[in-house]
Amino acid sequence: MSDNVTITRTKSPVKRDGALRRLIGFIGADNLSLMFALVVLVLLVTVVSGWFGLSGGNRFFSWQNLWNSLAQAIVIVGLLAVGETVVIIAGALDISIGSVASVGSVVAASVLVGVGVGTRLASLLAGSVFFAVAAGIIAGALCGLINGLIVTQLRVNPTIATLGTLAAFAGFAFLLAPEGKPVGVLTQPAFTWLAQGRFLADAPIPPLGGTKWTGIPVLTVIFVIVALLIHILMTYTDFGRAIYAIGGNATAARLAGINLSRVRILMYMLSGGIAGLAGVLLTARTTSGNPINGTGLELQAITAVFLGGAATAGGKGTIFGTFLAVILVGVLNNGMNLLGFNTFVQRVALGFLLIAAVAISQGRQARAEHVRTRIAAQD
Amino acid sequence: MTMTSPAAAPRNPVSPPDAAASLPELRGTLKIRNVSKAFPNVQALADISLDIRPGEILAFIGENGAGKSTLLKIINGDYQPDTGTLSIDEQALSFSSPRDAHAAGIRVIYQEPEIVPGVDVAENIWIGELPKRMFLFSRLRLNEQVRRSLAEYGFENALPMNLLGDQLSSAQRQLVEIMRALKSGVQVLALDEPTSSLTDEEVDRLFTLVRRLRDEGVAIIYVSHRIREILRLCDRIAILRDGSLVAVKQASEVTEAEIVRLMVGRDLSEVFQRRPAGTDHEVLRVTDLHSNWHRGVSFHINAGEVVGFAGLVGAGRTELAKVIFGELTKTSGRVLVDGQEVSIHRPDEAIAKGIGFAPEDRKREGLVLVRSVLENASLAILRRLSRFHFVRGRLERSTVAGFVERLRVRTPSLDQEVGKLSGGNQQKVVLARWLAVKPKILILDEPTRGIDVGAKAEIYHFIDDLANQGLGIMFISSELPEILRLSDRIYVMQNGRITGELTGASATEEAVLGLAMADQLSALPTGAATPNREGSIL
Ligand SMILES: Nc1ncnc2c1ncn2[C@@H]1O[C@H](COP(=O)(O)OP(=O)(O)OP(=O)(O)O)[C@@H](O)[C@H]1O
Ligand SMILES: [Mg+2]
Repeated sequence: MSDNVTITRTKSPVKRDGALRRLIGFIGADNLSLMFALVVLVLLVTVVSGWFGLSGGNRFFSWQNLWNSLAQAIVIVGLLAVGETVVIIAGALDISIGSVASVGSVVAASVLVGVGVGTRLASLLAGSVFFAVAAGIIAGALCGLINGLIVTQLRVNPTIATLGTLAAFAGFAFLLAPEGKPVGVLTQPAFTWLAQGRFLADAPIPPLGGTKWTGIPVLTVIFVIVALLIHILMTYTDFGRAIYAIGGNATAARLAGINLSRVRILMYMLSGGIAGLAGVLLTARTTSGNPINGTGLELQAITAVFLGGAATAGGKGTIFGTFLAVILVGVLNNGMNLLGFNTFVQRVALGFLLIAAVAISQGRQARAEHVRTRIAAQD
Repeated sequence: MTMTSPAAAPRNPVSPPDAAASLPELRGTLKIRNVSKAFPNVQALADISLDIRPGEILAFIGENGAGKSTLLKIINGDYQPDTGTLSIDEQALSFSSPRDAHAAGIRVIYQEPEIVPGVDVAENIWIGELPKRMFLFSRLRLNEQVRRSLAEYGFENALPMNLLGDQLSSAQRQLVEIMRALKSGVQVLALDEPTSSLTDEEVDRLFTLVRRLRDEGVAIIYVSHRIREILRLCDRIAILRDGSLVAVKQASEVTEAEIVRLMVGRDLSEVFQRRPAGTDHEVLRVTDLHSNWHRGVSFHINAGEVVGFAGLVGAGRTELAKVIFGELTKTSGRVLVDGQEVSIHRPDEAIAKGIGFAPEDRKREGLVLVRSVLENASLAILRRLSRFHFVRGRLERSTVAGFVERLRVRTPSLDQEVGKLSGGNQQKVVLARWLAVKPKILILDEPTRGIDVGAKAEIYHFIDDLANQGLGIMFISSELPEILRLSDRIYVMQNGRITGELTGASATEEAVLGLAMADQLSALPTGAATPNREGSIL
């Protein structure tokens, strides 16, 4: 019925994109620059470590370094960053994730060993790896629920709300641990397998950089799977769309029928649940449910998210970008380790990296904003 | 402003393609020569040459996305042209920011001028240029000066000096922006769709001012989609299509139809005719609704009816829509959908009850500017497009593409950021979203604001079709002709009340205006946000 209108048009209003542009669009221009930065950084680290004549596991391109040092080191922060990405895309912030990870860590260990909070469940579940993992995740999700309720029902600014719960949950983790002491899980090999296990350890793969093939860490596989799942959630589901819309313009999203409170609560539960899982894995790696396990991790996670191209104002960002940024931060830390910088230098570097990442993100927004307000101002 | 050296200035004088080009050249003419501007995938302007002459009102007209605003942004120094030059009196101008353009006496007035909220009128006018040391004495002198210049143009009443920035209506905001321009000796003044949120009376006052400035020798550019307004006001008309200048005509020598043909490249032969299809089934009834903005509003909408809501800006129509939609709260009164009383506290509940609402303020309430056309258009129907919460991509694309084609949204692709579309095209994306929803009751708040003639006709057809499919449509518009043409029934609102209901032959322009201004003197309801105290401001 609209033929009389469209036929006479000289140009179709919707043009098709070229293949190359589609590819760039698919990867995203921001992600391309991240990949570029990553390549540069890797080259820098290998060249510099070559000068220092490092050998064996101290070489960047060695199985030992790639799988054992790098791939495992990025997992915990990576998981936290993936959850944080969702929150930041929605235009909010979750500072409490480090403490939530501590809670998850203690809860998982307690359930596993049957002490503290775990005692009452002990007869039923103790020793079950599955229930220990589930308990850690659920504990995290409950912490997220608390965050979500504070933000949506009490209308507290997300930054302030989660700053408060950062402190509260940290204390809570100590209260959960019997007498505030770490809960050891050393005797539970099925559980510590989560951190020490390897897939494909026997695969016939030649040595690299003078070290033997070690297999792919279970930890790394878990991280990749979670990142992939959240990527799918954000890209292909109505929940993901709602998150992007809320971050871009909450009023417009609400008027389009999105239940802001529900989405925000679910979002905090998701971020909390992932932080809980990170806590569980921390327990497996350190072989103890320690209430200080997660302390300070939120800073690294938030750094990675902003480095990954998420906009501080919300509405923009991708899980893939965060994934790349996590690797970038990992390589940076790894390189500094290889070259023997101490942790204090690394902390200084990380702090400045956060500021640089946000500054870049702000610059990008300011430019886009300028164009937008100009366009906006007019019509 | 940076001026290139005189040696570099003279370019090949290319004669502009207008009839009067042979007239002796006036001093102070802004010459645009061979200006082009491209954005990724879009040639926004292609080789535009045009003279903007002092003492003349020149209209820019063209479809949504034709390039009008982009040309103004180049004149204002917001964008730099890819190629081409601007010059005044043989002096090449190259602006790197609006500040440069202002210094050269060029001012572009956007529809939403930047106004500082907590600051009074005088300071808003002098913003950025206030004397460094602000003693009481100079402050008084400043006020006196502003008062005098307001009086000079006859705006003492329209723009009370004691109002703060956030109390100004959109007409008053424009006035502040115009006063800013006047105080610094403007030579070229451009107005981008200035009248789209003004009442008729405000439009008249604006025109008086614009004509006066023209007679004082200011060169004026006037951008609008209202062809009649343009024919009434302007001396010459520049018609743009797809980024090119297709014609420049003397206003006295063209007809409305001719302009439309030049704009869209074809005849808009079809005359829209509403085919009333109202039934007896009431889809919406509101009885005795009270809120911060309303005092006892009662009305009903039947299935298949288009019900117009007329009234002055600030009469409470938008707020009424929002109260029904659950975005604002009511203090008392009942709302019935399909005969059932409903209690709605949030927009998603309203949607679940079968109510849709396309808001008028597309940037603040309508669109997620940083996301794509696709995501914006499908936002309200995600549930329907999803299976197990997974959005079915192909279905989504084809659904949205249908609406985008039919509403003639000009966009390089469905994945373009909505914020990068032209204003009218953004408005179409909001409409596409809500037309796709097909609720029982659809509330459209100023749906054709900023939309070109061709697309307007298409939107009327859409509304007509939807009503004939049995939707009840609440149609809020400040354009009288459009309300009269499209509505089966009209409610007129004023100051938070319905002052009358008109149908059939009784629905005339005079009748609507009479009801819209029925009790000018009654006090505003408590809590009314608008400072529209004289009924109209300009
Ligand atoms: N910053 C930008 N990035 C990409 N494309 C842009 C940008 N600004 C404008 N465009 C495109 O340039 C074209 C011209 O836009 P412009 O705003 O000048 O149109 P307009 O004539 O003012 O339309 P309207 O009547 O809808 O206001 C449009 O296709 C628009 O999408
Ligand atoms: Mg425009």
